[in-house]
Amino acid sequence: MGVRYSCSLFPFYSILKFLKGTNDMREQLEQMRQQALSAIAAATTEEMLNEVRVRYLGRKGELTGLMKGLGALSADERPKVGQLVNAVKDEVEALIEQTMSQAREEATAKRLATERIDVTLPGRGRRQGSKHPITLVVEEVSEIFAGLGFSVAEGPEIEHDWYNFEALNFPPEHPARDMQDTFFVENQLLLRTHTSPVQIRTMLKQKPPVRIIAPGTVYRCDSDATHSPMFHQIEGLMVDTQVSFADLKGILTTFTNQLFGQKTGVRLRPSFFPFTEPSAEVDIACVICGGSGCRVCKQTGWLEILGAGMVDPEVFRHVGYDPETISGFAFGMGIERIAMLKYGISDMRLLFENDIRFLKQF
Amino acid sequence: MKVTYNWLKEFVDFDLSPADLGHLLTMLGLEVEGMEQLGGGMDEVVVARVLEKNQHPNADKLSLCKVDNGKEILSVVCGAQNFKQGDTVALAQIGAVLPGDFKIKRSKIRGEESCGMLCSEKELNLADESAGIMILSEDLPLGTPFFEAMGLKDTIFEIGLTPNRADCLSVIGIAREIAAKLGKHVRYPTIVVPEYGEPVDSKISVTIQDATGCPRYAARFISGCKIAPSPAWLVNRLNAVGVRSINNVVDITNLVMIELGHPLHAFDYTQVAGGQIVVRRAGEGEKFKTLDGQERILTATDLMICDRERAVALAGIMGGENSEITDTTTDILLESAFFDPPTIRRTSKRLGLHTESSHRFERGADLEMVPKALDRAASLMAQLAGGNVATGRVDNFPAPRALASITFRPERANAMLGLSLTAERMAELFRNLEFQVQPVSNGSFQVTIPSYRIDIEREIDLIEEICRLNGFDQVVATMPVAQVISDRPSLHQRLQRSVRDHFVAEGMHEIVSFSFIAADAADRINLGADDSRRNGIKLCNPLAAEQAVMRTTLLPGLLETASRNMSFRSLDLRLFEMRRVYHAVVGQEMPHEPIYCAGLITGNKDQESWCQQDVATDFYDAKGIVENLFEQLQIRGVRWSADEPEPFYHPGKCCRILVGNTTIGSIGEIHPEVLKRYEIEYACYYFELNFEELVRLSGNRKAIVAPSRFPDSVRDLALLAPLELASAQLIDCVKSLKLQELEKVTIFDLYQGDRVPEGHKSIALRLRYRASERTMTDDEVQQVHQKVIATLTGKLGVAVR
Repeated sequence: MGVRYSCSLFPFYSILKFLKGTNDMREQLEQMRQQALSAIAAATTEEMLNEVRVRYLGRKGELTGLMKGLGALSADERPKVGQLVNAVKDEVEALIEQTMSQAREEATAKRLATERIDVTLPGRGRRQGSKHPITLVVEEVSEIFAGLGFSVAEGPEIEHDWYNFEALNFPPEHPARDMQDTFFVENQLLLRTHTSPVQIRTMLKQKPPVRIIAPGTVYRCDSDATHSPMFHQIEGLMVDTQVSFADLKGILTTFTNQLFGQKTGVRLRPSFFPFTEPSAEVDIACVICGGSGCRVCKQTGWLEILGAGMVDPEVFRHVGYDPETISGFAFGMGIERIAMLKYGISDMRLLFENDIRFLKQF
Repeated sequence: MKVTYNWLKEFVDFDLSPADLGHLLTMLGLEVEGMEQLGGGMDEVVVARVLEKNQHPNADKLSLCKVDNGKEILSVVCGAQNFKQGDTVALAQIGAVLPGDFKIKRSKIRGEESCGMLCSEKELNLADESAGIMILSEDLPLGTPFFEAMGLKDTIFEIGLTPNRADCLSVIGIAREIAAKLGKHVRYPTIVVPEYGEPVDSKISVTIQDATGCPRYAARFISGCKIAPSPAWLVNRLNAVGVRSINNVVDITNLVMIELGHPLHAFDYTQVAGGQIVVRRAGEGEKFKTLDGQERILTATDLMICDRERAVALAGIMGGENSEITDTTTDILLESAFFDPPTIRRTSKRLGLHTESSHRFERGADLEMVPKALDRAASLMAQLAGGNVATGRVDNFPAPRALASITFRPERANAMLGLSLTAERMAELFRNLEFQVQPVSNGSFQVTIPSYRIDIEREIDLIEEICRLNGFDQVVATMPVAQVISDRPSLHQRLQRSVRDHFVAEGMHEIVSFSFIAADAADRINLGADDSRRNGIKLCNPLAAEQAVMRTTLLPGLLETASRNMSFRSLDLRLFEMRRVYHAVVGQEMPHEPIYCAGLITGNKDQESWCQQDVATDFYDAKGIVENLFEQLQIRGVRWSADEPEPFYHPGKCCRILVGNTTIGSIGEIHPEVLKRYEIEYACYYFELNFEELVRLSGNRKAIVAPSRFPDSVRDLALLAPLELASAQLIDCVKSLKLQELEKVTIFDLYQGDRVPEGHKSIALRLRYRASERTMTDDEVQQVHQKVIATLTGKLGVAVR
């Protein structure tokens, strides 16, 4: 600790000299002033200027020393000489300050003029992760329906036959069951073939009004270029006192416009699902060609993306709702299909190969 | 279901192009999945006459002909022998493109010019085999396109029928739909059966032993048939809709099935003992050879057509080999029956025997069509096979059914559909569908449904018909009027998103792997014999051995994904998966399906870069990801226990993750043997967490503390500790003092090596002291710090270096 302040005896000698007389002192002051000014003039860096400041104005500096020596003077002379010393101090201080700021500016200018980096070198970025496109679509669709007042419901993937088929009006031994090749598990359990059983579970749990969507994983015993044994669906269900088929069309039009952009044309075609009646296939104007016909839409100008319909009264009876007082619609869409259209993915298998070079693009 | 444009025109008048007809059908719910032009693009194949047929001067087997196409005389070289001068033939002219993309060009064959080709049926895709070129009727006008002249130009529609529309599995059914939409009438075929002599009863008797399985069975006896190839029109017609021609009698049954939708079966009468038909269920284990030559083993639920002695057909599915029509057959027992749909479906599914006939019966045939189809086929057999039809028909129909009649409320239809149609308009639509409409009180209708519309049973079915026939495009979209429901996403849903977001922020890529894994995956990841994760739920009918069991852990999917990526030389991987696993629960019907989240990292820590060195990722990178996740979810009190390591990790580089006494996951370096089984050559670090536990433990927020405004004092402390001492013990020990002035303690250095005694390591702690209300003096800091040192050395046997 003790070595921080190096001690110079110089100020003490000057005070002793000073005591010889004020004339001497004036001379000496002028001399000191000249020295200081030339030291400032000679200083070229901030450090050198700081040294000058310490030497003349520091706690043990020369001018400070003169000030301290004033006590030895008579009461008459003390203020006069004090003024003189202060004037010199102020002058030196101001000049140091001015020179210092000049030096700083010059130094900065010099630094800025010389320092250069290669801005084209890549940044030190952190690794970027990504969500799977299936997740991205689920999140986006859920968001759109949240805005329409639909909340998210879930149900088991290993499902009981009753929820997956019977309650949805697929009687045993009915050819409609052929529409969905089923993976079976023991004890009347199966891998759900669609997300529709979530409708049943939701309606059994709550009374109308109901407005849910149910994203989830589903399974069918089918595998080729356009079918995966595991895929994903989003189910929707709305039940209220006066819901109509026209309302279904309204909700689906709003949805597809938000998902694929304004004014995506929507077309409903009659179809058949055991749990809805009337049932419809929902086509959108081809997002690739805009409806003029291309390879993706097989020259039809339309893309099938949804199945939908009014909830069949039989389904309402299974869950204890009175089909005479309420009505509702349901719809279901394949997430892979939407992801492929949205991102222009040509082969569904890419979605399940999990090649990092594919995943990194999302 | 395939049907052709010309065939439909026989039953209903319409003025639509094939494309417009296709659109009309699609918008009626009969989705046209494909359209094919028959003879399309083959206008360069024309009718021509052979004027001269001479021997080719340079080839024995070729002839050199002069052919008149109506405009000019062309010279054509031909290899066939079955024609003579003056024959009318089909000439493929220069520029014609035959099936198989075979282009006809001007050519020289053995030095003689040939300006076209005389065609066989095979070359025009009209038959599978042909003996020579086609010889056409003399009266065809020369130069007209061949397909046009032959009336073969047609459009085939491939219609994807939904399973409810059994009535449309016929040309007549589809014609009915077109008529209904256009407000036209269907021209039903008039059927006149020329009956001769003996009454059918003297030849055939029918006993129905199972009226549930067979509510109606009709038959006719036709004698003196001559089995022969069918005429060309019949062959072509069947070909067009994808049915292969067999012989005239069999083709007639198929033609009637396609035309009227009702499957028929023709037996060789001499093979039906006594002409006696008995309809009964099969005996358990009974064997029967169907006419495809396959021996079938039957069960007691299968319905059989038998004679006095033996079975002769698998009812509604396929006839028996023992009684099929052969070239020598003359007398025919023709069956037209109705079979119970579930019965047919069960048998057909079990035997894996799906036929045109079973397809129709299992969807539901038309009870009223039974005698009509029988008569139509009998009249054609008389006409095309020279048969004599015995007088009358057997028609065993024990319990005739009345037509369905349904009450319909027009206002309900409008409310359900969001339409405002008048009752009159709705009645008109029903009449167009050949439904009978009777007004009843209060504006409702009583609607009687024809027997072929078995799908119409309820008022809602009628409402659908209104919407369908009026046009789905006539429904104007509206937004529903509904009650406000406010339902914020559940914590479970919100955290799923947070966790995914966290992993993405950590530079990880989400994967989606199949929920079913290979049955041997449990072995490959080293699970012990009594590990409950071996009891994965098995599929009864997996598609492949690699997809046989529902996963109980996400590890196999991530390892497989890593392995596959590495095979493409993608070696830096940061993968995560967040999906369900499936655990059977003893004593519960439904399995438990918790969401797990797992990550796998391997390769270099950082991206390849000019400013970062390649440093291999390690356990602590994985641990950091998990720690940050806990921080984000505000999960506290986490312990990392190296006890009871999971079998798929390196035993010295892994731990279980606990909160309280509950294991919520694990983390570690994958065991080298496991890696080898997945053909992975690089170290992989893995963690797996039970998301359901994370949800339960989340939100344990520390009280917020206002930061002190006073300066801190930092003291570093290097300690010499035995190797086995867990660093967490040091931190826990310091924290156990609950010193208010200790703001933070971190481990900032770890050293093992020459400069410390063997069996020891050096651990350096940095302790940051700060008081909340004042500046601490050096003495105060020293006092607290000494307390820390004393506790550490006293309790843990460590020494200050």
